Amino acid sequence: MSKPQRAYAFYSPTKVLSGNKALENLPVELDGMNAVKPLILTTPGLSARGMEKVMASAFGDSNLTIGVFAGVPPQPDLRLIRELYGLYRDNGYDAIIALGGGPVLDTAKGLNIAVSGRPEDLDSLASGNPLTKKLRPLAAILTLDLSGCEMTRYASLGPLSLTSPALIPDLMIIDPRTVPEEERKTVAATALMSMTQAVEACLHPARNPLTDAYAYGAARFIMENILNVLRNHSDRKGRLALANAAFLAQTSFDNLAPGMVYELGIAISRSCHTKPGLIMGLLLPHFLLLEMRKETTARKDLYLFVGGPEAFAGTMAEAISRKAVDRIVEILLELQSLVTDFPRSIRDLGIKKEDLEGLVAQGSVAGVRGEYDPRDIRNILEKAWETRF
Amino acid sequence: MNNFREITPGNKPLKRAYVALMLWFVGRAIEAAARVDGAVKAEFGGLPPEFTFSLGVMPQGPTMIVGKDAQGLVRYRGWNPEGQKIDLKMKIKNLEGAILMFTFQESTAVATARNRLIVDGEVPAACAIVRVLDIVEVYLLPKLIAKLAVKRYPDWPFGEKILNRIRIYAGAVLGL
Amino acid sequence: MDLPGYYEYCCGVKIIAGHDALERIPGILQDLHARRPMIVTDKGVAGAGLVDIVLGAVKDQLTIGAVADDVPPDSDLRVVNRLAALYREQDCDALIAVGGGSVMDTAKGINIVVSERADDLMKFSGAGALKRPLKPLVAVPTTAGTGSEVTLVAVVKDHERHLKMAFVSYFLLPDVSILDSRMTLSLPAAITAATGMDALTHAVEAYYGLSKNPLSDATALAAIRLISRNLVKVTRNPSDCEARLAMANAATLAGMAFSNSMVGMVHTLGHATGSVCGVPHGVCMAILLPYGLEYNRHKREAVMGELLFPMGGSDVFAGTTKEQRTDRVIAYVRQMNQDLHDASGGRHARFFKEVLDREGKPAVPRERLPDIARTALGDGSIFYNPEELDYDDFLMVLEAAWEGVALDPGRIRK
Repeated sequence: MSKPQRAYAFYSPTKVLSGNKALENLPVELDGMNAVKPLILTTPGLSARGMEKVMASAFGDSNLTIGVFAGVPPQPDLRLIRELYGLYRDNGYDAIIALGGGPVLDTAKGLNIAVSGRPEDLDSLASGNPLTKKLRPLAAILTLDLSGCEMTRYASLGPLSLTSPALIPDLMIIDPRTVPEEERKTVAATALMSMTQAVEACLHPARNPLTDAYAYGAARFIMENILNVLRNHSDRKGRLALANAAFLAQTSFDNLAPGMVYELGIAISRSCHTKPGLIMGLLLPHFLLLEMRKETTARKDLYLFVGGPEAFAGTMAEAISRKAVDRIVEILLELQSLVTDFPRSIRDLGIKKEDLEGLVAQGSVAGVRGEYDPRDIRNILEKAWETRF
Repeated sequence: MNNFREITPGNKPLKRAYVALMLWFVGRAIEAAARVDGAVKAEFGGLPPEFTFSLGVMPQGPTMIVGKDAQGLVRYRGWNPEGQKIDLKMKIKNLEGAILMFTFQESTAVATARNRLIVDGEVPAACAIVRVLDIVEVYLLPKLIAKLAVKRYPDWPFGEKILNRIRIYAGAVLGL
Repeated sequence: MDLPGYYEYCCGVKIIAGHDALERIPGILQDLHARRPMIVTDKGVAGAGLVDIVLGAVKDQLTIGAVADDVPPDSDLRVVNRLAALYREQDCDALIAVGGGSVMDTAKGINIVVSERADDLMKFSGAGALKRPLKPLVAVPTTAGTGSEVTLVAVVKDHERHLKMAFVSYFLLPDVSILDSRMTLSLPAAITAATGMDALTHAVEAYYGLSKNPLSDATALAAIRLISRNLVKVTRNPSDCEARLAMANAATLAGMAFSNSMVGMVHTLGHATGSVCGVPHGVCMAILLPYGLEYNRHKREAVMGELLFPMGGSDVFAGTTKEQRTDRVIAYVRQMNQDLHDASGGRHARFFKEVLDREGKPAVPRERLPDIARTALGDGSIFYNPEELDYDDFLMVLEAAWEGVALDPGRIRK
């Protein structure tokens, strides 16, 4: 695989528990982190779907008391953090369990900073001062409605952007009871987000054997499961695989700087309120056509990730890069047929041609500075605007 | 704040009762097996004098305790670890893990591989006890189920297996 | 990619790898709030000049509290206690372990003693005894390798009471592991070969074992690919920096794979052989690996076939039918042993009969095989092996491994 030019660093501190009866291990895991009274954060939607009952059952027979706050909104802010700070302190909680996706994890990470020190530490971190205190235990229970940053060092609360390895959750649980069926669009968006993270990790100039290993796992899980999960409500194992894929992709992503497609997807989603994953899906083929023209080993490896060992081994060397792009386009077309109102072009999202120039600037910020030529970025955006799948 | 509530989840009495029953049964079956089966006898023979082990569920039971007495005989020592000197504690991390083991959805080997158990004590002794549990399960369970519970179903002479099975059941249930 | 019904995985070690990774140590210690580390190493490593290289990379920015270079080949309780006292005397606040498995285990042992202010290391043996983080520990492996820079186990021997204490805890994991090609450049051929095969065994056993999971699979496959392309190459050309770095990466990847997926019969028998006859771990692994594949094959045929891709590459994989893949994997492993034997001037042993001790005498007499088989019965790694092994099975495998012949498939009980 890749031979790094200068020393690379890789870090993934999360303990992963995935599968049947994973939740029941929470009491023992919390005890291992010297915690006995967790505060569970989740959304009203998840609570209505029975998650509170599931958590109560998981803690059954443990002799522990748990707190549940089921009011995390889609866009949490500092006011909520202050409220929860009081709650955590007044009731003597000593750990946070975040059950859900982006908003819940952002809230949990922000709250954890506040309760491990003081609420002012949030502003301090946002202004660039690193966190010095060790944070209290934080566990994440992932669903399939994900923003792409849950298991990373990033969090955002209103205008505040928080970045620190200390924010990465200590524990992650993927349990069939907490990865329920979601709307197809949600699942597709999450899978495409993970796919983008994995693909961009594979092609990243600073890639290393570890980010490759994680990205490979993510890509395989997605390619082997996404279509079946969308077609069959009952494919529980497939949903677990996609949740695993999200973790693997996010870890790879967390250890490299974000890529261009990721940054553009996030930027565009801010103005048109479409899930970023879907937008990234639209940009990905155009990005890949460009990348595949470069002479890199990464180019070849991508088909291994996306096609798997059998397909990779059975393909002639000259055809390999093309096949990688073809495979991704194939999946996108399938997704379009399975998901109602899957956008077919970024034009469908309401983006006007004049907006593209501003987006070029956003894309240039991505990755290793100066890595992406603005002309290439403009090219990709124009193609994505003109082409309809 | 109406989105907030505190819960102290209760116990699961039926599941606890089932596991308690299974542990009692297996504990007494081990005592009986040590009398009639050469391999079980040999495993215990290789363990230190008055060696005692417990198999139980965290955080506080149910548990079963088995140990060698002063004469070297293997005895079921009840469900209460208090006051007993226990050399090897095998703890199942939670009740659901115990249910998985005792409904044979996960064999002892798979349960160990999946970290459902914590072993507190010498590893060689734990290996011996797992082998004992495997043998006892072959006696207690019909072949179809025992095959799920152990890695390799042994090739014992049928007559001897049935005879010992009867003796072990009689020992476990009736204390004979 | 297989997804088991349930799995757990954790590897919180920060990995820093490259040709200039050592220079990052001062910054790392600063992040960990440490200013005065103690270096723990052994005479072999120091004699090879590796400690000087480490000191050279950090001296301008770091005060070294103490350098302890007398760790014996086998971790020893007395040494752990003595070095813990030195740590305290010199007012140190972190540990840097520069060496192989024994140095790593010793450093982990020292860390328990100084962090818990213990007088009796025994109190902390087993699993679950440690409840909070220990002092900062930076691991700099000098072999590729045991993978102990990423494992949560430490083994310390009490030679007075003839006991082997095992410590298992996530808190034993080093904070950072530094993989620098300079650390293995001068590794002699036989050790390069043995430690490389140790890494290969970790990866392969993790891949077919009962604790198999996606994370250990991904890291294992990456390790196997790197080892297949670099181990023989670097045994022939010891100064190939890129190959050295690739092997260092591979050993850590393999360590990450097995530390969660645990291992199997190759380790069970390997530990026992090491215990009874003093054969180095890597040597045992190399010899026993083909047998682990042969013995477990009937339970893991498909999974083993997948290994042909990282081992043999695209063309070989595509050109071999599914039914023949496992055969080829086993053949590759045996071929690797043969190539390493040739590349090391005959020093890398292919079977137990040809293993020699320090005086040049056979290290594994045939008469001792029953002892080894008996000892193997007490090793916990057997839990993770796909198939059962009793005394007779162990002996059968040992005899074949002694002779250097393939296992007779008819004798494997299913």
